[in-house]
Amino acid sequence: MTQPTLDPAVDYPLSVHRRDLLFTPTGKSIDDITIEAVVSGDIQATDLRITPDTLRLQAQVSEKAGRKQLGANLRRAAEMTAISDSRVLEIYNALRPNASTKAELEAIAEELRTQYDANLLAELVLEAADVYERRDILATGE
Amino acid sequence: MTAEAIQNPKAGDGVRHSLRTQVLENRPVNLDGFVEEWPEVGMVAMDSPFDPQPSVRVENGVIVEMDGVERADFDFIDQFIADKAISAEVAEQAMALSAQDIARMLVDPAVTRQEVIAVTNGLTPAKLLAVAKNLNIVEIMMGMQKMRARRTPANQGHCTSARDNPLQVACDAAEASIRGFSEVETTLGVVRYAPLVAMAQQIGSQVGTGGPLTQCALEEATELDLGMRGITGYAETISVYGTEPVFVDGDDTPWSKAFLAGAYASRGIKMRFTSGTGSEVQMGNAQGKSMLYLEIRCILIAKGAGVQGLQNGSISCIGVPGAVPAGIRAVAAENLIASSVDLECASGNDQSFSHSPMRRTARLMPQMMPGTDFVCSGYSTMPNYDDMFAGSNLDSDDYDDFNTIQRDLQIDGGLRHVKESEILAVRTRAAQALQAVFRYLDLPPITDAEIDTAVYADGSKELIPRDVLEDLKGAQQVMDRNVTGLDLVKALEATGFSDVAENLLAVLRQRVSGDLLQTSAILTKDLQPLSAVNDANDYAGPGTGYRPSGARWEEMKKLRHVTSASNPEVEVE
Repeated sequence: MTQPTLDPAVDYPLSVHRRDLLFTPTGKSIDDITIEAVVSGDIQATDLRITPDTLRLQAQVSEKAGRKQLGANLRRAAEMTAISDSRVLEIYNALRPNASTKAELEAIAEELRTQYDANLLAELVLEAADVYERRDILATGE
Repeated sequence: MTAEAIQNPKAGDGVRHSLRTQVLENRPVNLDGFVEEWPEVGMVAMDSPFDPQPSVRVENGVIVEMDGVERADFDFIDQFIADKAISAEVAEQAMALSAQDIARMLVDPAVTRQEVIAVTNGLTPAKLLAVAKNLNIVEIMMGMQKMRARRTPANQGHCTSARDNPLQVACDAAEASIRGFSEVETTLGVVRYAPLVAMAQQIGSQVGTGGPLTQCALEEATELDLGMRGITGYAETISVYGTEPVFVDGDDTPWSKAFLAGAYASRGIKMRFTSGTGSEVQMGNAQGKSMLYLEIRCILIAKGAGVQGLQNGSISCIGVPGAVPAGIRAVAAENLIASSVDLECASGNDQSFSHSPMRRTARLMPQMMPGTDFVCSGYSTMPNYDDMFAGSNLDSDDYDDFNTIQRDLQIDGGLRHVKESEILAVRTRAAQALQAVFRYLDLPPITDAEIDTAVYADGSKELIPRDVLEDLKGAQQVMDRNVTGLDLVKALEATGFSDVAENLLAVLRQRVSGDLLQTSAILTKDLQPLSAVNDANDYAGPGTGYRPSGARWEEMKKLRHVTSASNPEVEVE
């Protein structure tokens, strides 16, 4: 999907000026998140999550405000929305020092690429694998 | 980290001392710890002979040498900073400027914030250190006034209880909200209490004006879990360190932390990293570098990870820089550098620092006078003994002093004086809301007597003790039944606290919009996002930038006792 072009000076906060662009992961409008809908069960905890599209809109805002690194983080985050909470925590733990072998980190990168189409995250994990090898903080293997 | 009462070295030494010496010996400042500089172990604020000289070399768009180290010899921090924090395109040009010229740009009102950032984007840690060494404390404050990311300063409070009493936390969070705090943060004595205390803080903070974001400082994975459930609203205790061995001791790397930064953002949750001068010395591996040099490495790790902000200003290690010459100048400089590389800065003043009231105030002024994104990254909204973050530099006892200093100097520390009747009203409402939610969720009951005591209490010593075992079972229930922020909204709505439910839902709704992921974001009293995007600091010298005015200044003029001009016999309401 092509992203609308935003002007941070006009469009931010999106929750004030661009509610038309904001949806829940289940496709409901942000305007549908009301007390009545919460009480009736139409809005669930799974609705109160950010979508990859919204994260990329916010990345655009960050980048246009000159914040390249913040934008890159939000683009990685967009990829991460597809990964379950528990798998996110497992990958985080695998990235701790001396926690994984190089092959294990490479396998995670492959999983990120193939299962989640998460190329930016895969790149981050591969970088870590290289640096960890050079700095000798890989797990020594089974 | 304040020193215990040090034995009076002059007492009983057989030498005759003047009465004046005795008076001075008994001053609280002499209970503080001071040490000589010892650069070999890093006990030096910002000027170690072992700090590297600034340098950079770029080949084919890659930084191949930084601060005298060849790329092949980079430790993981060097590499992370060189590849992710520093812009290779502008590095050589920016590094060609003298440190003094860059320092002057920071102070000169004719140079805009954006122009400074265009330069800092290309600076190495050693160069940023050299810049800081050119600045005295007033110049650091001048710089902060311009470089703070958000135009409007704000403040953050701690809401904790020495007994982990959820009711106390709910009441203090409600009072914190009405007093003006934009964020409140809790932590625990008994970690298993976390779900109940975090819930109490989330509910209390949304009573009355509503709006403050909440967090619960815990080990990384648990903190993320509570955030994902919507029981907390942001995260802060994601620690980074300035030397590789200390980073590894903390069981993380810049890459694991960068991954975690993405994880929070992917759930729409605001997050900042934490670091501070002195942590590497305290953890025994400063590699002979000055505290500020190592802290600058932390600041650039935060920038490189793409996290929007940083809590720094020594934080839990304040006793370390506080003990050495120019230590508090270095602490102010680390805040300035965080702001100067375009990060949100929650600027410390958040741990018991000195026995001396004068020294506590002096330590606060470099942040309070120019204003920072959060003047305190934890003003204790309780008495010092209840602060489970090891006290704070400012406590609930200091509210009236703080408000008076704001009024005296016309500087905005984010707080306001509130009439007792209004405070008691929000404390009562928060306590009743928590009581209702506990009942609705079948958690251990809160009695009316407990509420009455908590509303009128100063601290946990006055409270009716809770049945801790029952509470801990309840806390486990919250986790097992997967209670979320949305369940709290439902419970509040069902029990007649619709206004609180609306406020809490507005906060939760923000994670769908992601507006709070932008730099320095807070929610206003009207629950609108305010960040460095829609409230960018526009300071450009005298007569410009943020100055308390209008309704805010009128609010700041109010104190507990102000004599009426029209009738000197009465005080202004």
